[in-house]
This record gives sequence, structure tokens and C-alpha cells, in this order.
Amino acid sequence: MIKPLLALNQLSWKVGNKNILSQVNLTVNQGQFVGIIGTNGAGKSSLLRTIYRYIKPSAGQVFFNNRDIWQQKASQVAQQIAVVQQSNAQLSYSVFEIVKMGLTPHKKLFETDSLLDLNKVKQAIEAVGLTHLAAQNFERLSGGEQQRSLIARAIVQDTELLIMDEPTNHLDIHYQIDILNRIKQLKKTVVVSLHDLNLASAFCDHLILLEQGKIIAQGTPAQVLTAQTISQAYNVDVSVSTHPVHKNPLLTFHYNVRQAKTGAITCDR
Amino acid sequence: MRSLTLAAVLLSAFAISVLIGASFGAVSFELTQVTGALFDAMLMRPASDPILSQIVIELRLPRILLAFIAGAGLALAGAILQLVTRNPLADPYLFGISAGASFGAVTLMTVLSGISLIFLPIAAFIGSALSALVVLGIAGKSSYNQIERMLLAGVATSFLFSAATSALLYHSDPQAAAAILFWTLGSFAQAQWSTLALPMIVISLSLLTFFAFSRQVTAISAGDESASTLGVNVARIRLFMLILSSLISAVIVATCGGISFVGLLIPHLIRLVMGYSSTNNYLLVATVGGLFMIYIDLIARTLLTNQEIPLGIITSIIGSVFFLYILQQRSTRQ
Repeated sequence: MIKPLLALNQLSWKVGNKNILSQVNLTVNQGQFVGIIGTNGAGKSSLLRTIYRYIKPSAGQVFFNNRDIWQQKASQVAQQIAVVQQSNAQLSYSVFEIVKMGLTPHKKLFETDSLLDLNKVKQAIEAVGLTHLAAQNFERLSGGEQQRSLIARAIVQDTELLIMDEPTNHLDIHYQIDILNRIKQLKKTVVVSLHDLNLASAFCDHLILLEQGKIIAQGTPAQVLTAQTISQAYNVDVSVSTHPVHKNPLLTFHYNVRQAKTGAITCDR
Repeated sequence: MRSLTLAAVLLSAFAISVLIGASFGAVSFELTQVTGALFDAMLMRPASDPILSQIVIELRLPRILLAFIAGAGLALAGAILQLVTRNPLADPYLFGISAGASFGAVTLMTVLSGISLIFLPIAAFIGSALSALVVLGIAGKSSYNQIERMLLAGVATSFLFSAATSALLYHSDPQAAAAILFWTLGSFAQAQWSTLALPMIVISLSLLTFFAFSRQVTAISAGDESASTLGVNVARIRLFMLILSSLISAVIVATCGGISFVGLLIPHLIRLVMGYSSTNNYLLVATVGGLFMIYIDLIARTLLTNQEIPLGIITSIIGSVFFLYILQQRSTRQ
């Protein structure tokens, strides 16, 4: 049996009396490309945040390589798990400076950058095809270029697991495909939240469907992306066929108006 | 290589500024005379001109060095606070430290007027420590909303202590009020070799600590959650940086009175001239702040004959005019 790289055990997170995540059990194996899907407010970002040690769960544990991440220092966890957030355009640093921040968890106090480190940064920038923009101000880049810089930062951080929170948000279709292909080429274990179900179908080998903080379905895209599951979870009409190229499910939405599902409106705060 | 060149430039600028600062004053000397006196003192030789030597070594040099240390400390504290709060207006005085110090000093001069004024720096220090503790207590250990809590607590503390100070002043005699006003505007006139030690130690150690945590501070300046994913304990480091900045400011206010605007001005000046990330070069920030202060002090003691202008007035005038200029430039560019 393969030991899982990441395991969540009965994980719950409460804010006040409200359960944001309840009793989530989940394992991710080495090399898997796992997609988290679900409606707005289903708890996708919260789930990712508990994995990268930003949110401390109210109950349950997160194990990485069989060690509880809350029994380790933040810097130790950051040596094993890198995160690409939705890009934050408020940064006046250059691309090079942003990518260099990936060294942070690996460095001791007072330790300066070696030539080796700087080469690593340059190579990561080259790997995402941004060498010509290395000196450019991050906030002047397009959304796709910003995402690529943050991926380069994760490459420098050099971790086993890569987590991405809606990396394709606000990107045109070219960059959506470009970003996910670049991630796939890194050959790392990836956990990514996605809104676009057809992208999830094309790129992920395992999908987790969240609803109101609970996992309601998980498995291969073919197991999760069925007309019945998706139309219930998202309250839409959908037909499912087989994609002519990658052979995973292809979802065709009907774009008709449906009555709001009772109890599905979670944004009542 | 680039950083070596920069260090050489900064060091020579420092040496030249010390010489210039030591040459001008109520009596002005030739640069060669000053250099001679400095070399005599350094090589422990008997001075060729004892009076000149006395003025340069015992009066002007400690004053110039204190100005440098104070400017360097305030600029550093400002830069660090701007980075960890990501707020361009952050400055040690925004966190109520100067108001607390004034309150301490005024309490000593009015309520406890029997006590010698030698204890003024101590009273000022206690006052600023008090205000810093209030802000730190409210800022707390959780990173959620920490910046907002820090800034608002700072502003509220500032008003609280200012009000208490005003109340005390209102009931004191005019002479004490004038002395206090002069003190709160800042001066290096009390500088002696013996007063240099404490600020020098505190600021050198803080500079060293800032160097140690420079990666973490840079990461925080790019966002809390992003820093956290890079393994930085955001809330703890930010609190630690606030404590160090408070300590620096408290020591400076206690030794030299209130010198406003330097902590705000210098980091922005450096950012404007040398690029956004230059404030992460702490040696540059400290040296520019120090040099700026040497020249501010030179203006303070030479602009009017036989009279010193309080530093706070000069820094605030230069600072605010400069600031308005930057803002105007920015708005026309966009």
C-alpha cells in the first residue's frame, strides 16, 4: 500500500457557531493532481488554508508525510508545502524580488543569498518564460504573468506539494490552459481549487466536491462529474458527454434559469 | 560588488558630513583645522590648538554623532513599521510613542516638580513605554486584523496622552510650559559623549536584529497570508518589530525630545529616488536618515545667530513641504 503524502483526519473548522468545514477526511498520494470543486462558499479556500497551515482547525488533524503540521514549525511546513494564491496585485516589488522570496523558509537568520540561490531564482523565472520581465514591477504585469511569477516563487520554494487557490481566476482561456499545463509539467503533487469544471475534468486525476463544508463526492473525474451530481450540487441543468480529445467528461450547461435551491444559499452572514 | 560600492559611498558621505558639521557653528573653522584636531584626538597627541580641539571634540562631535544616531534610528524604525504594517503613513510617532514621552516629561516637570530635571529622560522613557504597552496589548498576538488594531490603538493612545499632557500644562506656570514646549520640539544641545552610549547600543542592536529578520519582514511587506505560506510567523514578527521600533523611538525621544517626521520622510525619500525595494536595505535607510539629521542640526544651530531653532520645527517644515511636493508630482504623473 502506498503511504499518502497528505492526510486530513476528521477535520472541522468553526467560526462562532457556524461550521465552515465539517469532518473532512481526505488523502492525497504522491504525484496526484487533485482538484477541489464546489460552489462559492462551499469551503474550498478554507480547506486549502487548513492544509497550508494558515487556518488552525477546531478539530481533527492534517498530516503531511505522517507528521501533524501543527506539531512542526511554520518554516518546516513551508519547506514541504508551497502555495500559489490568487495573485495580489498590490506588490511594487520586481518579479525577481518576488520569486526570490521563495527562499525564505530555507534560510537561517542572517543568511545571505549565495550564487547558487540566485541561479535557482533565475532558472525558475526562465522555466515560466518571464526572463525578459525579471526586472519589471510585479503590479504592472498582466494577470497571467503574475500567476507565472508566483509559480516561479513556488518552484524556488522547492516543495513536494503545491497548493493553488483558483489559479485560473480572471485569466483568458489561453492563460487558463497555459498555467495548468505549466503546473502539470512540474511533476509535483498538486491540490488545486477550480471553478471551471471542464478545466478540472481535463487536468485533474482526482476530484473532491465540497458542499457546505462537507465532501459530498470524490473520485476520478468520470465518477464525480456526472449529470446528477453536478446538477444537484450547483443547481444547474447539465448534459455530460465524453471529451473527444482527453476522454474525460465534457460538461455542457443548458443556461436556463432554475429556482434557487432551498438551503443552498450559504452567504447569509 | 554593488553593495560594496554603496557601502563605500555611504561611508565617505558620513565622513564628509561629520567634517562639515564640525566646521560650522557659532565659530567656524577651516576643514583642515578640524581634520587636524580629529587626528590629534584619535592618535592621542596633545592638541595643537586646545580651544578649537575642545569645541570640536567635546561639543560638536558628540552632538553630530547623536544627530546621526537619532536620524538613523528614526528612519529605520519608520521603514520597518511601514514594511510590516504595509501602511505608507506608519511612523514611530503614529503609535503614540512621542505623546507618551511628552506626558512622562510633563508629569515630571509639573506634578513631580521637586525632582531634578536630570531624570527627565527617564520620565520620558517611562511615558513612551507606557503608551507602547497599551498599543502592544491591543495589537495582540493574532494576525487577524492586527494592523488595523495596531494603527487605531496608536492613534487613540496618542490622543489620550496628548490630552493628559494638555491638561497638566494648562494648570502649570507659563515658564514650565515654555520649557516643556522647547523640549517637545527636540534638540541635540544636551549631547555629551556620555549621553551617546545608550541610544548607540539600542540602535546598533536593533539594526542587527532587523538584518537577521530582513527576509521575514520583506515577506510580510508582500502580504500576511503570502508570508505565512513562506513559513513566517506573521503576528509574532510584527509584534517584535513594533517593540523594537518603540524602544528605538523611546530612547531617542528621551535623549533628544520629539523630532517628528523623519521616520516618515526618509523611507519615502529613498523609495522615490532609488526604487521601491530600497527601503529593505537597512544600512542605506539608517545612513541617509543619519546624514539628513546632521544637516538638519547644522541648520538648527547656524541659521539664526546666537540662537538655536528647535529641530522639530525644521524637520516638520522641510518634511511637509517635501511631502506635498511628492504628492503633487504623483498626481500630475497619473
